[in-house]
Amino acid sequence: AERKALQLRKAIVARRRELLSELSVRKEKEAASRRAEISRREKDEEQKKAVEDAKRRELERAKKEIEAIRTEEAKKLAQSLKAKGSLKVDIEDMENLTSDSIMRLQVEQLEKEKKDLAEAMRVASKRLDHTERAYRKEERPLLSEDYEV
Amino acid sequence: GFDEDDIDYSDIDAKYQVQYEEGLDNVVVVDGVPVIDKSKAEKLLARIAKEFGKKGSNVKADDMFIPWDEKTGKSKGYLFVDFKTADDAVYGIAALQEYQFDSKHRFYLNRFTDIERYASLDETYHEPEPEPYTTKEHLRAWLGDPQGRDQFVTYRGDDVEINWHGKPSQCEVAYSKTNWTDLYAQWSPLGTYLASLHRPGVRLWGGSSWSHQQRFAHPLVRLLDFSPNENYLATWSHDPIVVPEGAQQGPQFFSPEDEGNNIAVWDVKTGNLLRTFPSSYPEQDADAGGGAGKKPQMPWPALKWSADDKYVARVTVGQQISVYELPSMGLVDKKSIKVDGVVDFEWCPLGEKDRDEDAKAVAGKGKKPPRQNLLAFWMPEVANQPARVTVMEFPSRQIMRQKNLFNVTECKLYWQNQGDFLCVQVDRHTKTKKSIFCNLEIFRVREKDFPVEVVELKDTVVNFSWEPKGDRFALVSSNDPNLGSSGPGVTIKTDVSFYAHDRTKGNFRLLRTLPGRTSNTIRWSPKGRHVVLATVGSTSKSELEFWDMDFNNDDFGKGAAAKDEWGSGIQHLGTADHYAVTDADWDPSGRYIATSASAWRHTIENGYAIWDFKGTEQSKQILDRFKQFVWRPRPRTLLTKEQQRQIRKNLKEYSRQFEEEDAAEESNVSAELIAQRKRLVDEWNAWRIRCRDELPAAIKK
Amino acid sequence: MRPILLQGHERSLTQIKFNAEGDLLFSSSKDSVINVWFSHNGERLGTYEGHNGAVWSIDVDTQSRFLVSGSADNTLRLWSVQSGKCLYTWEFTTAVKRVAFSEDDEQIVCVTEQRMGYQGAIRVFRINRDGDGTDQSEEPESFFNPIGSKAVVCAFAQTPNLIVTGHESGKIALFDAKTGEEVLNNERAHMDVVTDLQLSVDRSYFITSSKDKTARIHDTRTLMVIKTFSTETPLNSAAIAFLKPYVLLGGGQDAMSVTTTSLRQGKFETRFWHKIFEEEVGRVKGHFGPVNTAKPYGDLEIED
Repeated sequence: AERKALQLRKAIVARRRELLSELSVRKEKEAASRRAEISRREKDEEQKKAVEDAKRRELERAKKEIEAIRTEEAKKLAQSLKAKGSLKVDIEDMENLTSDSIMRLQVEQLEKEKKDLAEAMRVASKRLDHTERAYRKEERPLLSEDYEV
Repeated sequence: GFDEDDIDYSDIDAKYQVQYEEGLDNVVVVDGVPVIDKSKAEKLLARIAKEFGKKGSNVKADDMFIPWDEKTGKSKGYLFVDFKTADDAVYGIAALQEYQFDSKHRFYLNRFTDIERYASLDETYHEPEPEPYTTKEHLRAWLGDPQGRDQFVTYRGDDVEINWHGKPSQCEVAYSKTNWTDLYAQWSPLGTYLASLHRPGVRLWGGSSWSHQQRFAHPLVRLLDFSPNENYLATWSHDPIVVPEGAQQGPQFFSPEDEGNNIAVWDVKTGNLLRTFPSSYPEQDADAGGGAGKKPQMPWPALKWSADDKYVARVTVGQQISVYELPSMGLVDKKSIKVDGVVDFEWCPLGEKDRDEDAKAVAGKGKKPPRQNLLAFWMPEVANQPARVTVMEFPSRQIMRQKNLFNVTECKLYWQNQGDFLCVQVDRHTKTKKSIFCNLEIFRVREKDFPVEVVELKDTVVNFSWEPKGDRFALVSSNDPNLGSSGPGVTIKTDVSFYAHDRTKGNFRLLRTLPGRTSNTIRWSPKGRHVVLATVGSTSKSELEFWDMDFNNDDFGKGAAAKDEWGSGIQHLGTADHYAVTDADWDPSGRYIATSASAWRHTIENGYAIWDFKGTEQSKQILDRFKQFVWRPRPRTLLTKEQQRQIRKNLKEYSRQFEEEDAAEESNVSAELIAQRKRLVDEWNAWRIRCRDELPAAIKK
Repeated sequence: MRPILLQGHERSLTQIKFNAEGDLLFSSSKDSVINVWFSHNGERLGTYEGHNGAVWSIDVDTQSRFLVSGSADNTLRLWSVQSGKCLYTWEFTTAVKRVAFSEDDEQIVCVTEQRMGYQGAIRVFRINRDGDGTDQSEEPESFFNPIGSKAVVCAFAQTPNLIVTGHESGKIALFDAKTGEEVLNNERAHMDVVTDLQLSVDRSYFITSSKDKTARIHDTRTLMVIKTFSTETPLNSAAIAFLKPYVLLGGGQDAMSVTTTSLRQGKFETRFWHKIFEEEVGRVKGHFGPVNTAKPYGDLEIED
């Protein structure tokens, strides 16, 4: 019975070994496939990322280009306005300005100039009028004297 | 220049017996009138009124009265005319005296008072009653206007109107009269008198009641020119002087030796005739082209006064300049200034400093003798002689400066109004005579030896004008191929340039050019600094540009302060448009400019507009048959330089007062306007309600 | 205000009329065609064709059912507004210069021109509104030859059987349509030919325009001048604005003289004046060709 029990134990052990090795093989297989899956995914992601990066870079490059053109245009505009003498801002201060803002600046400036001109004319007009009226006021008492002479 | 063609001088009757006696009554008796029955009265009166009208005397049928013979029912062969004033009566008598009404009837006119007097003539002699002493009116009363306003005269249809111009609420008619003048109205240079022109002669008016001041019996007078200080007057008539038999005689009237002459010189104060001259037309230029049959333009003024009223001079083209002493009218030193080929001359004006020095010299305080009169004249190229401009001192006749010029077509002489500079505009031709260009020869007559500066210009100069009291000038130039062949619809392209005297270098330099304009007229403010450029006489363009020469210089009145950049003070203030504008005229203060479209030139939108110096419209009047707008000139201020300086210094204080006055005035005006409008609305509403109430009844009827 | 340009006539306009609701605008022209437009967008709705000469005058009844027109072809025509068909034609010996409906739509009045030996005449026709409108009487209800200066414009006054007229001499007058008698006149209403005459909503006052460069408002009962609007150009038309206290004046020289003189000389603006203050308040520029007629757009008529 003892032998029989031993044989049984042996058989169980063998069976266990067999099962174990099977298990490990399976595990191995599973791990391998998992690894493969991961690496595939990683690869995919990398690829995706690369494409996206390229896209982004392309976008950035285009954006930069547009920006550069804009700045160039703005500079040109500013320069032309300056040349005409209608814009009185230093170009160096305006590196970051766009055409739109220059235009806005220009309009603001024109409006301000118009307002200044109107104000200056109003003051000049008052002064001219008041000076003449003051002269006449002070001359009035002298008139009768002049006539009697 | 004055264009003769503008004035209609047809229907002239040669018979003028001018009687200028003071009368108090306005009733005139007309003898020699046809005897009629009552049925023909209306027709007869209408015809007689028309005959008066033709002679510029305003009489309506209602102003006349026919006495009737009760027995026969017929008129008595005379009638009475009621004139508005005694003056009008005198004029009416002169107008129709001895008028041949029809083959059988000749009119004889007398003042009613005269006939009364003769009829009841007392044989015994009575000492004439001394005329009641009347204080003479203050002829410069308008300067004392409490509101400090200026005046202007307008002539529209037959109506002459004197207007006050001030703030909108202060504008009003000061005086108006129908048929005040028969041709046009003209101010004397200091504004003291208004001259009217009539068939019997010139009349001067003045004072606040616009009473009659003086008359000059020059029949059919067409042009007149006062001396700068209003002491003398020159008149011209197209018709040579005729002295009919029995004409009135005396110092105020022509005598037989004046017959055939056209120009007369008068003393304004006494009304006396000083001397007469024949017209002198310039020789007809054979090259003028298309001039066949066209009368040469009468150069006016034909006589030129020296700025101090001491002399008057006339040129005999090609030969001499004759200078006469005033008031004797004798030829100075009994000889003319002989200048072979002389074409034209101009006296130098008196500057403020010359007047001050004169005053000092009179008071015996002068350090140096005042400057003598200067006379500039020019003669063209002849044979191997170059053309020449000369500046001569008078009466010493010393030649101060002479300049020879070549390839000269024409010279024009422009004195700056202070007598500081003389600009000679020399129109020159190329050797082939194909094109014209221009040199300006500018004489600086306040400096030793009169240095001359030349400004060379490529184009033809159309117009030149010195800034009053300034050292700048403006010119209009053009290289438009249409120049000179102007016709309807042709608008000449021009450039306008401003030049200034550069004191550091002594020369004249271009300040700025305004290219591609159509402006052909420059109008400087009489105070300088502001200038208006206008396109006058065009059917398609009528722009007005308003400019300031010293925009950066706030402290005006003090003259040029620090000039930062050459020409940088020139500022465009505004642009306006007055369609078909024919004239532009600054007020004496330099605050306003009036533009007008005169029916003498065309009949499109006649009328006038007043703008301020920056181009803001103050008022615009479109009036058919509008002919003339002229501001009343003012004499020089009585304030001394120091007084003026004080006023400018204290301007803030004055400004405060004026602002207050203006604000009060304005609220007053708007209150008045609101009240007026409310009244109109109330009237309207009342009428509407009445209509509505009465409407059903009206419909039922 | 937004201007709407109506382009559809080949020659100059002679008159324009809104219907009572203000949604339709009728225009007559020297090109012999009458047009009808949607007034809100300027779209052309249709035409009324049949005249063989310039159409001088039109009017529409208050129900927008009938349109009446007068022409240089010596006819007066009645039209169906909806179908555009000519319902009836009256023939005369001279041109029909002016037509107008009565307030109750029951009558029309017309002025025929004085010419070639024919006297100028004013006729009043009674309109049969029953049926399709083709059954009209050929004979006028009343007929008379106004005395004195030629009548050029006319309308029914507020009182039945009274016709208000404007004349070549500048006179305005009231005539009894039955007797032809001149009941009242104002000889000096204008100094030159009267060019237009339009009544207020309640017909108690009316505005006239004239070549004498003025327009005037008159009291219909007394013919007294209530207001005067002085301009610097001969006027062709005058209208009373609804809702707002304005009058509209149109004028200018006609195309013939415009081409021979400066373009500027004819003033082609429609000008708005304050009805009560007699002051100008605004202008609409940009016409080429004179404004021959002016009538304000408005869909509400209020008592004013």
